[in-house]
Amino acid sequence: MTRGSKLRLVLRDVASGCAFASMAVSGQLPLWTLGLYVFSLVAALLGKRLFARRAKLTALLLLGVAAVLAVNVTAGSLNLVVAACAFAGLISAHRLLSAPDPATDGQVHLSGLLMVAGGAALSGELVYGLFLVAFSVMSSVSLALGVVESAVPEGEPIPVRQVLRPLSTGVSFAVAGAVAFFILFPRLNWNMTGPRASPGIGPATTGFSNTVRLGGTGTIKDNPRVVLRATLNPDPGVDALGAYWVGRTYDIFDGLEWTNAGGVRKEREPLLTLRPGGDNLVHQRVELLPAYGGRTLIALETPSRLGNAVANTSTGGRRTFLQELSGGEARFLEPGLSYSYEAYSLPPGGSGDRFRKLPTVEQDALLALPENIDPRVAQTAARVLNGEREPMAAAQKLAAWLQRELSYTLEQAGERDDPLADFLFERKAGHCEHFATALTLMLRTQGIRARLATGFFGGERVNEGYILRAGDAHAWTHVLVPERGFVTVDATPPANRPGQGSKWLQRLLGLYEAIESRWRNSVVDYSFRDQVDVARALVRPPQGSEKNERSQLPPARAWGAALVVGMLVYAGWRLAERLSGRPRPLEATRFVDAVEAVLASAGIVRGDDETLEELHARMSSDGHALAPALAPITRRYLEARFGGRPLRQGEADTLLRALKSAVSDFVRMEAQLRARADAPRARAS
Amino acid sequence: MKSPWKQRWARLRARLRPPRTLRVTRIGRTYLVVTFGVGLGALNTGNNLLYLLLGLLLSMVVVSGVLSERCIRDLSVRRVGTDAAFAGEPFAFRWAVSRKQGQAFALVLAEADSPLTGVGGVGYLPSGVEHIVRADLVAPRRGPVRLTGVQVTTTWPLGLFAKTRVLPLEGLLLVYPKRGYACMDPGDAERGPVGDAGNPRRNDGSGDVTGLRELAEGEDARRIHWLKSASMGKLLRVEREREERRTWMLSIEPGLEGEALERRCEEVAALAHRLLEEGHEVGLHTAEERLRAGTGAAQERRILRALAWLGFERPGDEEAAA
Repeated sequence: MTRGSKLRLVLRDVASGCAFASMAVSGQLPLWTLGLYVFSLVAALLGKRLFARRAKLTALLLLGVAAVLAVNVTAGSLNLVVAACAFAGLISAHRLLSAPDPATDGQVHLSGLLMVAGGAALSGELVYGLFLVAFSVMSSVSLALGVVESAVPEGEPIPVRQVLRPLSTGVSFAVAGAVAFFILFPRLNWNMTGPRASPGIGPATTGFSNTVRLGGTGTIKDNPRVVLRATLNPDPGVDALGAYWVGRTYDIFDGLEWTNAGGVRKEREPLLTLRPGGDNLVHQRVELLPAYGGRTLIALETPSRLGNAVANTSTGGRRTFLQELSGGEARFLEPGLSYSYEAYSLPPGGSGDRFRKLPTVEQDALLALPENIDPRVAQTAARVLNGEREPMAAAQKLAAWLQRELSYTLEQAGERDDPLADFLFERKAGHCEHFATALTLMLRTQGIRARLATGFFGGERVNEGYILRAGDAHAWTHVLVPERGFVTVDATPPANRPGQGSKWLQRLLGLYEAIESRWRNSVVDYSFRDQVDVARALVRPPQGSEKNERSQLPPARAWGAALVVGMLVYAGWRLAERLSGRPRPLEATRFVDAVEAVLASAGIVRGDDETLEELHARMSSDGHALAPALAPITRRYLEARFGGRPLRQGEADTLLRALKSAVSDFVRMEAQLRARADAPRARAS
Repeated sequence: MKSPWKQRWARLRARLRPPRTLRVTRIGRTYLVVTFGVGLGALNTGNNLLYLLLGLLLSMVVVSGVLSERCIRDLSVRRVGTDAAFAGEPFAFRWAVSRKQGQAFALVLAEADSPLTGVGGVGYLPSGVEHIVRADLVAPRRGPVRLTGVQVTTTWPLGLFAKTRVLPLEGLLLVYPKRGYACMDPGDAERGPVGDAGNPRRNDGSGDVTGLRELAEGEDARRIHWLKSASMGKLLRVEREREERRTWMLSIEPGLEGEALERRCEEVAALAHRLLEEGHEVGLHTAEERLRAGTGAAQERRILRALAWLGFERPGDEEAAA
């Protein structure tokens, strides 16, 4: 096998791997199919074609796999599209392990194409786009090398380097063409669905559960995956937002877990109003990404209204209703991979909740303490407060004490019987849930109503909006202050409130997120409205441009339009040049054609390769009657054709008329002579 | 000179004839089906990524057309031909292909509109270089084959479409009768002195001993019979009968047609080959011509040419035949 053939096969296999990866990034393929494919790909790359001798027999394995997938689909544990994609991947795996020949190569490439199409249906990730381009490039090169290899005589080398140059140009044009097609092709889809969504790499990370178990071993504080993206109006315009994004609250603590006392308040609402708002509400357009993995709505503290929610699933996006639970939690009714919705929140500083509006059971829960709470908790709280009874001042005093006396740590190995006492008096270190729980219960021991709130803290600015990472998950305390309602007090040391992931990883993922955001906005969410905007931007200045300082230079679109016009003019010029460059009959040549036709009517035919001059010479030597009439025409033709004296306007007609006249005279004379010759004559007998 | 009507008709035909023919390959058909499916899926779901993929697939089709067109234009082909073409067996045929500017990939050459089967290929053709493309062609039957043009096909770049262009190039290939084994007897050789052959007086050959005589001066010492010379006391040379070349005039009976004529031509060709290999002189007598007896490869070629033309009308310029 030549080097070119090896390269072609490696490119073919890697292209197939990229196609499979474009599906795999959706995270929806069954793990066993992933394992089988990776095994096949690695074996193929190592040159181990395990099915080379038993291609047909081993194809039976595919039947078995198809049966397993079909069972999964009928059992409802697997989506039909996902099953089809997985099967395409396994077909490709089988082909990878078969003997390489032209038919197998074609099947590998085509199954790769199917996988890429399947990936488009499953995933909207930026990584998909990268794998798509990688597949296109490598598959094209592999196909081209295969085409050239088939034409190269056996034993001769494949001109790999020579192939790559024109092919790279071609692929670049194809990608540019694809972009142009994508932008310009009208979105006449029959089903105007929204963006696709998938959990992406790895499972969802930040699902809210019905309980919060204190001192659990799991931690997500160092997870940099982005779970929420939001744009705010009015835009704070700061790089680090440092805001509390609340998800749900808990009011009952049994010593180990936090739960809620209340039940469902509203079953099914398109728009939830949690508390009355004012004129200065902060509007948020929120997108919960697939990495979020929960159904609880997140909004800036303190949410007033939530609604207009869309759940994105693998089959498209659809509107979903909301459900209100106790503690101000709002949930999506429809399951989805990702959600988008709008929220309005009150400005920070107080919720305006009225105490009397809370149900009795919830009011009681705000003071409930675990039965076996360590007495040292109350003693410590009393000692720290030293008689302070005002809720807000007491909360701040306790929070300051906690931050001062205790340290922050994510190391929480092992289960504890009394995690709160362990945190306060033994380990004296914990994470946000420990701090928030300690503050809440210490306040309750002193008769001050409080509850635990969970959500996110922070907000990192990316592309006109803010993102939150899984590591930004946080817990804090809501203190019930008379006439102000629930007020946020955070006992966690400020430096430990945001995510704890490594900075370089966050920076790297931030860059990825920025690109991914643009990808999502420009590609995945590109719609007919965007197309109209593109068309409008070409003819009208964009909105808000009048606010910008006027430049002396023409706008960018003018340069673009000038470039397009220039290219069109150049293309037209090249076309005209090509057309003008074609050999076309000269005026004199057309004239001689007409002369020839006139002479033909008199029975004078120019011989092959006989010029007009030679014809005239022949007629003169023969003493032909038309030779004198042809003389000026021949001379004038030679002058016009070769002498640089073109025929003047109407001169050709004049010359032709004279020749026609001479020819008609000649024909008439010939007819008379013939008639005279044919006439009966007297014969001497 | 052609009449104006004929000229117009020829111009019209030339204009209507497609300059390129396009054929979708097997993988190309599947590719188009997948493209159609992706298009339907994009329209049905509004999935932007499917639109992107559809755009890429369609762009690839366009780019494929442009690259293949760039590949097969500006080509010039010269027919180098073959040394000998025998019916029913592969023979080496060559074309010289070149282009003034630009480069070409994956060109497959064949004779257009001819019964010859087989193709030759060139993987990469740089500009300004004349590349000899070799092909093993097979002609099914004996006789002259009119060559009208060379067909250049490329599936570059992706193998989805096969674009073909025919470069007009007149030519003639003379296919000799099928080679086989001559089972029949050649019949009696010609009798009497015919040219150099058949002279019984020659006795300087290597056959039977005809006599001994004294060695003359200047004669080859290898002819000395040493035993007799020793007994006689003088140098004697051996005279041996010369194995004379014999002459056969092979003939094709007039009136043969079709398969019978073909079989006879093959037999005569095989017989002539065998006799010429043995060193005899062979001539040919057909209804159309009579070839004088001769020896050697040139004579065999003459016989084969005569057999190849048998039953076909010869053009005026027969030398044009390859």
